[in-house]
Amino acid sequence: MEPSRQRFTKLLRVSEIFYFFLAALSFYLLFSSRTWEAHTVWEVMHPAFIPTMFVATSLLFRILLSSEKVAYKLLFIIVHSVLIHSIFSIVFPTGDLSGQQMFLGRTRLVYDNAVLHGWPPWPVTTVQSQIYEWFRGINFQAALSVAFARMFSIDFIWIHLFLVPVLWGVFTPIAAYLTTYTFTQNEKVAVLSSLLFSAFPWATYFGAISVPNSLGYIFFFYSLYFMLKNLDSNDSKTRFLTLTFPFFSLLSHHLTGIMSFCLLILALVFKSYKGEKSSSITAKVSLVTSFILCASLLPLSLIYLRFFRAATYTAFTLNKLYELPLEEILGLFLIGELTYFDFETILLAVIGPGLALLCIIYLLYNLKRNPTAKFRIHIYFLFAAFLMILVDYRILKLFMKQLVFNEERLWVFQDFIAVPFVALAIYAVVSLLKTFLKATSLPTVAIATLKALSKRSVSRVLSLLFTLNVLIPVILGGWITLSLGVAYPQSVIYLQTTQYELEAVKFIEENTKEKYVVICDVWTIYAGERIVGVNNPRAYYFLEFNRTGYDLFLKMTEDPSLELMLSAMNKTGADTKVAYFIVTEPRLGVEQFNSVVSKALKNGLQVYATFGNGKLYVFYYKK
Amino acid sequence: MRIKSGFDKIEQLITRDEKLFFTAISYVITLAIFINVSGFQSPVLGLLASAIYFLINGIFLGQAFFKEETAFFRLMFGLLLLFMLLGFVGWLAVVIHNLDITRFTLVLLITATISSLLNKTVKNKHGT
Repeated sequence: MEPSRQRFTKLLRVSEIFYFFLAALSFYLLFSSRTWEAHTVWEVMHPAFIPTMFVATSLLFRILLSSEKVAYKLLFIIVHSVLIHSIFSIVFPTGDLSGQQMFLGRTRLVYDNAVLHGWPPWPVTTVQSQIYEWFRGINFQAALSVAFARMFSIDFIWIHLFLVPVLWGVFTPIAAYLTTYTFTQNEKVAVLSSLLFSAFPWATYFGAISVPNSLGYIFFFYSLYFMLKNLDSNDSKTRFLTLTFPFFSLLSHHLTGIMSFCLLILALVFKSYKGEKSSSITAKVSLVTSFILCASLLPLSLIYLRFFRAATYTAFTLNKLYELPLEEILGLFLIGELTYFDFETILLAVIGPGLALLCIIYLLYNLKRNPTAKFRIHIYFLFAAFLMILVDYRILKLFMKQLVFNEERLWVFQDFIAVPFVALAIYAVVSLLKTFLKATSLPTVAIATLKALSKRSVSRVLSLLFTLNVLIPVILGGWITLSLGVAYPQSVIYLQTTQYELEAVKFIEENTKEKYVVICDVWTIYAGERIVGVNNPRAYYFLEFNRTGYDLFLKMTEDPSLELMLSAMNKTGADTKVAYFIVTEPRLGVEQFNSVVSKALKNGLQVYATFGNGKLYVFYYKK
Repeated sequence: MRIKSGFDKIEQLITRDEKLFFTAISYVITLAIFINVSGFQSPVLGLLASAIYFLINGIFLGQAFFKEETAFFRLMFGLLLLFMLLGFVGWLAVVIHNLDITRFTLVLLITATISSLLNKTVKNKHGT
């Protein structure tokens, strides 16, 4: 090996060891930020975490631009990706207080064998509803979480919390790599795209929460890869996998499933278009027709979801156009929900897809001049898919109402398609700078060779070297680090699940032999679900959005009485023997909390226990 | 380089699965997981047994579907397919009945059997 090459390899190894040190330090800092009482992760985050992440990410970009083996680069990216997506699960002992806790409650039922005769555990009236319940993503996620928890013999909560962050962290960088490599055939661009995926805030957020939709996104990404692969392959295995991944995407979540099948139809149409000898007008018209069909599939499927899901009121509407002011409509049309966000969030959310769109347009322009380009059909397909999501988002946002999820979930699909093009654009800049460098200096840059150049050339070479080795990695590292600030919410009005809420529900569960019901706020319901699951007939917590449970709690906070506790027992069955009423100071506010506690004591309610130095009171009534 | 050739050897050995040796190991591991989950509940034992289970069956599936890929991608794809298969069989158990320890063990056995069968089928097809 040449001495300069040896030096370079040594430097690379030192960089890699340093990177591992920084990654380990970041994990340590996250664990040291672990807290039981906070609203957001940023409130309690160790001050050294963000600087460490920034240096680690910049260093990783520098390693990616080197000639290291692809498998090693991907391993580094996987470590980084798991780190980026584990913040909620490490900092908050029960994870983020969102949908993931709802699913935890439902999965808990499967883990505790509380479901005895198939899903769902509650009565279902129609065949369509039964089919809908079977194909709900919660079942697939529950099966995976429970299987892993039993296999590893690790606390079920840990498995649930880390299921998506780890699977996402491991498998999406690989999917990004493969998708990009399929149509660029450039390993460096592909590797770059697998790390740049972390610069997309919405994708990062969904990779950090254990919900079925996130699992569906992973399978969608692989569907996209196999669709691209299938465009120029007639291999039976590729065909099989092209169909398998959309099916699993559907099994995980209906949104990702529908999107996968929409793109599958589009990909098949593009493939048949490619197979035609000459691109006639009829073929082009059929392509456009298929695009319209695929774009309309999602809105229509959301309307017809009512055949399977009883309480679905999704419908088309023009109300928003009539009711909203023109500038708001324009804002929603251009950047969607982002119109209500601050400038930094808008910039960080738009920069990736915006750059990708510019890159696609540039590539399409070039393809016009080069009709024999090898990956022409791939780029056309990806452009059509990108456009389809842009159109669908606007239809959902402006022309539909009462959707079963928020429209912004479509942005993640957009990110999947955008990331290869962002990497392509950045790599083009790097290549351009390298070409300049080669043109300016000699092939090997060393102090001795620099002496032979003029002063102006030396400064140009040095500034190019600085840009390539320092500036670009620092800018990209900064981009990903800043995106983290947007991906993980900066302000949340509610407190995450606290230790004393969890201690209270655990205490009740461990010390109550009889069947019981708990009247509490939605936050304690989440804590209860974590321990006993939802709709557990023995340890009953009302569902998060159950009107009866909510009304009971409201009435109890206004006038806590034994009658209300008795009525809660009667509502959950004649064999319910105990009722508990939980109030928490930070949730109600000091004044209301004190008032509820004194009224309860005055009305003869007995204190069962207090937690968190009097921040949480449990009252009880036994039949 | 040594690590790579070491992994290649293990991969070849597992893929050959002579006299269904590794399929049998997979079943023994399933039994070990069953005993652990019903008795000891040791995370160390659980993680070790699961790692072996994932390695054997991940390699089976990786070889069955991604023979032409490099070792890294073959293993990763194999693992992804294994998780999908495990999830799918588990999903069937959840929607039909439940996923208690007995049914969970059955899920592991079915998954291992399908992985082994796929490996055998593809191997026989290509004559390797």
